[in-house]
This record gives sequence, C-alpha cells and structure tokens, in this order.
Amino acid sequence: MKLVAVTACPTGIAHTYMAAARLEKVAKTFGHEIKVETQGAMGIENKLTENDIRQAQIAIFAVDIEVEGRERFNGVKVIQVPLQEALKNPEGIFSKIQR
Amino acid sequence: MISGEANSMQFTFSCPLASGLHARPASHLAEVANRFECECTLTNLRNGLVANCKSVLGIIAADVRESDRCAVHVSGTEASVATAAIQRFVEESLSSCDVPLAPLDGSKLSDTLPRALRRAHVSCVFGTPLSRGIGQGKTVILSRIALPRDIGTPTQVDVQVELEKVKGALEAVRERIGEKIKYCITPTGSAVLQAELAMAGDVFLRQKLEDEVRQGASAPRAVTRAAEFFIDLLGRSENEYVRQRGADIEEICLQLIEELCGGLPESTIDLQEPSVLVAETIGPQQLLGIHRRWLKALILEQSATTSHAAILARSLGIPTLVGVRNARQSLMPGDEVLVDANRGFVVPLSPAVKRFYERERETFRRRRQASVERGRDSGIPHRKTIEVGANASSGEEINAAFENQADGIGLFRTEMIFLGRQEPPSEEEQVAIYAEAVHSANGKPVIIRTFDIGGDKKVPYLSLQKEDNPFLGYRGIRIYARHSELLQSQLRAILRASAEGPIQIMAPMVASIEEFREFKVAVSRASQNLSNKEISFRPNIKIGIMIEVPSVAFALDKFCEEVDFFSIGTNDLTQYFFAADRTNSAVSSSFSVRHPAFLRFLQQIVEQIHAAGKWVGMCGAMAAEPCNLPLLLGLGLDELSVPAAEIQELKQKIAALSAEQGRSLLSRALACAEAKEVEELLVPQSVGQPAPLLSEELVLLESTSRTKEEVIQEMVDAFYVHNRTADRDAMEEALWAREAEYSTGLGHAFAIPHCKTDAVTANSICILRLKEPIEWDSIQGERVRVVVLLAMRSSDGANSHMQVFSSLARRLDDEDFREHLLKYETPRQITTYLDQQLGLATPLVSVSTNSSPGRN
Repeated sequence: MKLVAVTACPTGIAHTYMAAARLEKVAKTFGHEIKVETQGAMGIENKLTENDIRQAQIAIFAVDIEVEGRERFNGVKVIQVPLQEALKNPEGIFSKIQR
Repeated sequence: MISGEANSMQFTFSCPLASGLHARPASHLAEVANRFECECTLTNLRNGLVANCKSVLGIIAADVRESDRCAVHVSGTEASVATAAIQRFVEESLSSCDVPLAPLDGSKLSDTLPRALRRAHVSCVFGTPLSRGIGQGKTVILSRIALPRDIGTPTQVDVQVELEKVKGALEAVRERIGEKIKYCITPTGSAVLQAELAMAGDVFLRQKLEDEVRQGASAPRAVTRAAEFFIDLLGRSENEYVRQRGADIEEICLQLIEELCGGLPESTIDLQEPSVLVAETIGPQQLLGIHRRWLKALILEQSATTSHAAILARSLGIPTLVGVRNARQSLMPGDEVLVDANRGFVVPLSPAVKRFYERERETFRRRRQASVERGRDSGIPHRKTIEVGANASSGEEINAAFENQADGIGLFRTEMIFLGRQEPPSEEEQVAIYAEAVHSANGKPVIIRTFDIGGDKKVPYLSLQKEDNPFLGYRGIRIYARHSELLQSQLRAILRASAEGPIQIMAPMVASIEEFREFKVAVSRASQNLSNKEISFRPNIKIGIMIEVPSVAFALDKFCEEVDFFSIGTNDLTQYFFAADRTNSAVSSSFSVRHPAFLRFLQQIVEQIHAAGKWVGMCGAMAAEPCNLPLLLGLGLDELSVPAAEIQELKQKIAALSAEQGRSLLSRALACAEAKEVEELLVPQSVGQPAPLLSEELVLLESTSRTKEEVIQEMVDAFYVHNRTADRDAMEEALWAREAEYSTGLGHAFAIPHCKTDAVTANSICILRLKEPIEWDSIQGERVRVVVLLAMRSSDGANSHMQVFSSLARRLDDEDFREHLLKYETPRQITTYLDQQLGLATPLVSVSTNSSPGRN
C-alpha cells in the first residue's frame, strides 16, 4: 500500500522526528511504502507533493497540533492519531489500516 | 437577649465579620461605648478573654473571630440607655463597618520558588534581591522603637512630670492624626487613620502608659514598654489581621517617641549567633556597628535600593532583600530561616530546604571551579581588557575585596570614619586606618576619596545646616574651604600612609576647575607640612577627581591638563544629568543608566579623557550590574570598581566577552532612542561566544538521582555550572511545561526531555545516565536509564543545530544507537560516537569556547 503521513508536535524539537522515524520503520515491516512529512521547528521538511498525496491510499496524521496545509489532503482518506500513538503503538495504526 | 438587674445589664451576640472584630469595627464599637459614663466589658465566650469595651486595643486583644459568641456587660449610670445603644450598633451597623482594604501590592505570591521547594510545600516571603548571596540564621527583628540603652531609665523620675509628658504626647499625636485625616482623600486611607486615631486615644493604652510611669519609667521608656506589651499581646492572636495590628500600635508609639524625644534615636544591635536581621530600614552606623560574623542576611521592608544602608549592605557583601512588606509581622523572632538573595525570598529552614541548598552550594562550587578551568584552558592568561577594583568604606570591606581577588581599591569612601561621633578622628587614627588598607592591598593601588559629607548627615563638629536640597547643596569638596583643618589632617594622614604602599587621592563632587586647583593647593600644603617635619611620604602622589557633576564633562580638556585620573560616579552623575532625585522612587526608576542619552554622555567623557592619555574608571552602581558589562567594555573604561561580592562574577563575565563585542553592542546602543531598546539589546544571552552543541562536560554518567525532579535539576545545574544558562528556574520551568503535555519517555529505558527557551544561552545536548533506573512517568510506570536533554534557544529560529536535534531524535529509534549510549564508559567515548553519528564534526558545531579568543 502507498501511504503518506504528517508528524507534528508542539515544540517540534524531538517527537516530530522520532515519530517520523518510527512510522517509516514500522511501515516497512508491514510491507507499505510511506513518505513522512515533518512539521517541526525547522518548518516543513520532506514535503509531500501533490503527486505523493494523489497516489496515496491513506494519509496518517500523527499530530498534536493543527496540520499545516490540511486542504492538500482533500479527497484522501485521513487517519488522525495523537503523535504519541505513533511512538508507543505504531503497529496498531497499521493494523487498523489493514482492516 | 437582654438580662440584668437595675443598673447592670448584659446581652450576647455572635460576631458577623469575616475578619473578626479587628481595628476598624473595634474602633466603632469603642466609640459608641465611650459616649456613656458606665462600665462596659466584652467577654469572648469562646476563649474567655475579657475586654474593656471602651478600648480598641482591649477589644482587638480579645481575639473575636467570625461567629464567636460574645457577651457585653454594662453597669453603672445610664446602663440601660448604653446597653440599648451598643446593642443597636452591634445588630444594625457592625456587619457593615468592615469594608475590605485594598490588597497591598508586593504581597504577591508568585511562583518564583524553585520547583523542588514548591513541591515540598515550603512557605515563603518574597522580596527584591539587593545584594546577592544566601544567608541562614535565626530571625532577629529590629523594632523601630527600641531605644539606645543610655536613654534607659534616668536616675530620678518625677512621676507627675512624666505623666504630663505622656498626656501631652498623646494629645499631640491625636492632633497630628486628626490633621492627616483632614487632608486624606481616599476613603480607605481615612478609615485607617480613623482607627489609628481611636487607638491613640485608647483607654487601655493610656492606662498602660500611666502604669509604667507610676512604676518608675520615664515617659519614653513607658512608651517602649507599652509598645512591647501590646505588640506581644496582639502577636499572640491566631488572627493574621490582628497580629498585623502590632504595626499600627508600633506606628503610634513611634510618633509618641518622636513627640517626647524630638526625633527617633537609632538603637544598637548586639547579635550573639548566626542571625538574619529583619527591619523596616537600618541606619549605616547601625549596620556598621553589627558584628559582621553573626550577620548572615538582611531583610528590609523599605524598598529604596539606593539608601545608604542598602549601598553599604551590598559593599559588605551581606545577602539582602528589600521591599519585603510586613516582614516584621510575617517572620517570627527566633525562627531559623534561609534567605535566598539570588532569587529573592525567605523560607523557614526545613529538611527539604536544607537538602535543596546543600545541592545548591555544590553547584556553585562546581560553577566556580569550571570557570577557573575555562580561564586556565583558554591559554591567554590575564587577557587585559579592564581591571576590577572594589568599593569599600571600612577595613573589613577591604579585606573582603582582596579575598575576592580585587585588582585594587577603586573607591575607599572615608566619610564613615567621620560620621557618628562627637569629635573628628585624629590624624593618627586615620593614618592607622589608611595604612591598614594599604597593607591589605599588598602592593595593589588604593584610591582614597577624601570625605564627602553634606547637609543630609549630622556631624556635630561640622556645624552643617539642614538643607532642603542637600544633594544640590553644601557638600563634598564644597565644604573643604570652611573646614580646611579637617581636610589637612586627612590629607596628611593619607600622605603618611602612602609611605607604606601605592595610594592615590580622589576629590568628591568636583564641579569646576577652580575647586580642583584649591584641592591641589591643599595637598601641597599637607606635603609641605610633612616635609618640614621630615615625615616620609610618597612623592608625586596621583590626584584625581570623581566625575559626578555634568559640568566637568564640558571642561575635560582643561581638567585633563591638571588631573591625574578620573572615576565616574554614576549614582550622582545620573541624578544630576537627568535632574531626578535618586532617593525618590517616583522618579528614580524612570531614568536609567542605560538610556542612550546617558551612554552618549559617557562615551564623550571616556573618549576625551583617553585622547588626553589619562586613566578613567567607574565606581557607581552602573559598574556593578553585570548586564551593563558589554557597554562598559565598549566604552573602553580602564577599571570598574564594584562591591566585593560582585568581583568574581564580573571577572568571569569579562573573561567571556571581547572588547570588540562590547564596542559593536555599544555602537548599536548609542543609535537607540529609548532606554528600553538598549535593554533589549542587552539580553544577556545575546552576547558571548558560541558554545559547542555537545561537549564532554554535558555527559553525566553514574548519576545517583532518584526521581525525575532530581534528574532534571541535575541536568539544569550542569547547564548552569558550564555557563549555558543564567536562569535555571526558567529553564527548569520550560522543561516541565513540556513534560506537562505528555511524558517524554520513549520506552527502552530512554527519555528525551526538551525545551525551547532563551533561558539557555547556547543550543545544547546533555546526556545523563543513571546508576539505577528511575520511574519517569508514573502513569505508564515507565523506567528510564538514559536521559537525552535537548535545549534550544527560542530566538534562534531554524538552523543547522535543529538538523542535529532531529537526526538525534530519529536515531534514538535505532536499537544499535541506543546500545552504544548504554555501554560506553566515558563521556569522551560518547561525544566521539555522537560526533560521528550525527555529523557534529563540522566547523559549525565544533567551535569550542576555548578556541576563539577575543581579538585584543
């Protein structure tokens, strides 16, 4: 499955990036292809292009704050979870997608 | 309910007032009772205390609280009419005569208590730190009404005469309060005065005063005894409000004493053990009279930061808080307390407080050591930018100065030697004092300023008139012409002491070249006199002046031809420059030494003096405020002279700054329009050399902390020790604010607390490894062994450090990476590994504090 994700936390120093790393790693074990955009203290990195989003079947928002440019995801199925979920139980997120 | 016989009646009521029968309602009740001839008592049925209903003090002392049942008993003539009137008052008016007073500002209970103390529920009293440090001891309350022992009890007291004096003083004080009421414009103010008026006319007070006189006390002594009695009586109340009425009675007794003695005498203080002195204010003589060994800290209710006592406390290095409202009521005599004059509060000593401050002392010790090591490692010993001398006014202070590594004495104020005595000090006495100073200095220069005395000080042998405006009056060098013999004896004493070591002479309050020329003539005359007697002294002694009066700045070309050196006294210079009385808090706070107008003035002064090749230092309060340092370095001053307690910290800060940084900051400050803009430029973190993101000193292995609080405190302390934060409390709060969102535990025994705050002076990574895992998050019961703390300055915005933080955060997800952090044995191994893994070996992050010395 092709997935896209956005991670964002209030300080944008640590958890945004840890969650991105975790999602990338666990996605692989589920056999998914994933691209994760981080919205942290450095602004938006690894930005999802229009093409990335169009091709994705599901978008995962692991965020504690408002996603910047949310309108880009209109028409895509979005699963939103607290950022901690991506850290503590990323497998849970992907199993949910499988079903 | 009324009961009673023919001329004895009684009724009971329940107190409807939330703060009980305090001064104001009590004064109304007494007023009603006083309209009648009869005897009238009030009994508090809860505690059995009986009061004369005509006495406000008596009623207050009965400690009647909300809902207390009270019985009023009336007997004698008019008993029934009086009972009816009092009962009507109690039932109809009592509940409405308690208009709450506006809360006092300054009685704030902010959250500046460090987290660890807050968690231990430590109660505290806040104040403004005036002289830094931490002091611990037993509370000694200095009552304003204590009389010197010699006034004590005269041998012969004529009871009738003393009774008349008491009566007269009470009347005069009542009259005075009555006058004040007439001119009082606020309703609360007038209510307070009304209560004061009632208290001054209180029968209980008068009776007590008369009893004391009949037992042989003089009128003033009777007042002090009565004051002690009532303060003690009220102090025993369980009601905070009533306890604070002690201040009211004290106020009245003070006025009585003033009336009886024609002024308020200063009392002497005799300390016997480590003590914390609490006072409304304190006189300089009083302060100097206290044995320094036992005076551990000072708490003043007054908030004037430029009072003589305040300046003196600072130069003696006594930890001092000012502006502590009601300190004498909220602190109990004999209590063991700790004064934190770094943060600004007083706390009662408890095991939690002790533990916290033991740790604190250790942190300070490590910070000092780290600073010494930084200086040593820098490989540029004694990089000379600016000297740091000390201000002093006694031998004790001079010793303290050299213990703190002063480069010299930049200002020895000698007026203290002349004050508080009936006769001037002899030449011999002065020689001994100055010679001792020179000996302590051990070859370092000592600048002695000749006496600066004016109409604001009483000196019996100088016959100075009290002036309306002493700061613009007959003082400093201006009085030397008329007191030339006194000046001669001082100059001879200074010259004689100069035979023992390098001394320079400085004249105060010079406004014109004529004055300085006169002064030089006086020095020659003293030299001649000694030569004639073949007494040895150092020839060609340097003679300088204080720059305190703006006129000097406009004649510097002339002064520089004749004056050897200059010292800028910013305290007076600012008040004359801005025409703002520095003792008047209504104006003094609006005129800052950091105002661009004043900075331009200073720049002009320093440039002209240096152009003439002369030396210029600064000895005012401006020099002692660390935040001004970049500006002072930028000005290119030759010396800063500051209180002993400030020297070490100032030297550390100087070592961390270059003159180039100072100059660029000053030029920006000179371009500003407002003081506020300059202050924004001076935010302490905005200057200083970049510290590396990661260094070995921030890798703490084998930690024995037991809780999350202790871990965070230990890491924040490491930042402080290594100069990466100046405000530990703010940094700690920022970390905890992040923890409050959700715990930063990552699982796998790792946690990653972080903050984005300008309380840190450099973006940093700090790693702590625990000997025993601790619980990080009580909800998830997660245990942690390795803590990786990321601290980023909020004003830095996105930069390459952030890149490192994010890749570190990503790598923590990697088991292999975590294993390395768990297994390495030395900080060096860990930093080397992280350098490799995170690409820290780039120039940006490997800049070390040691490798970029200033350019001069």
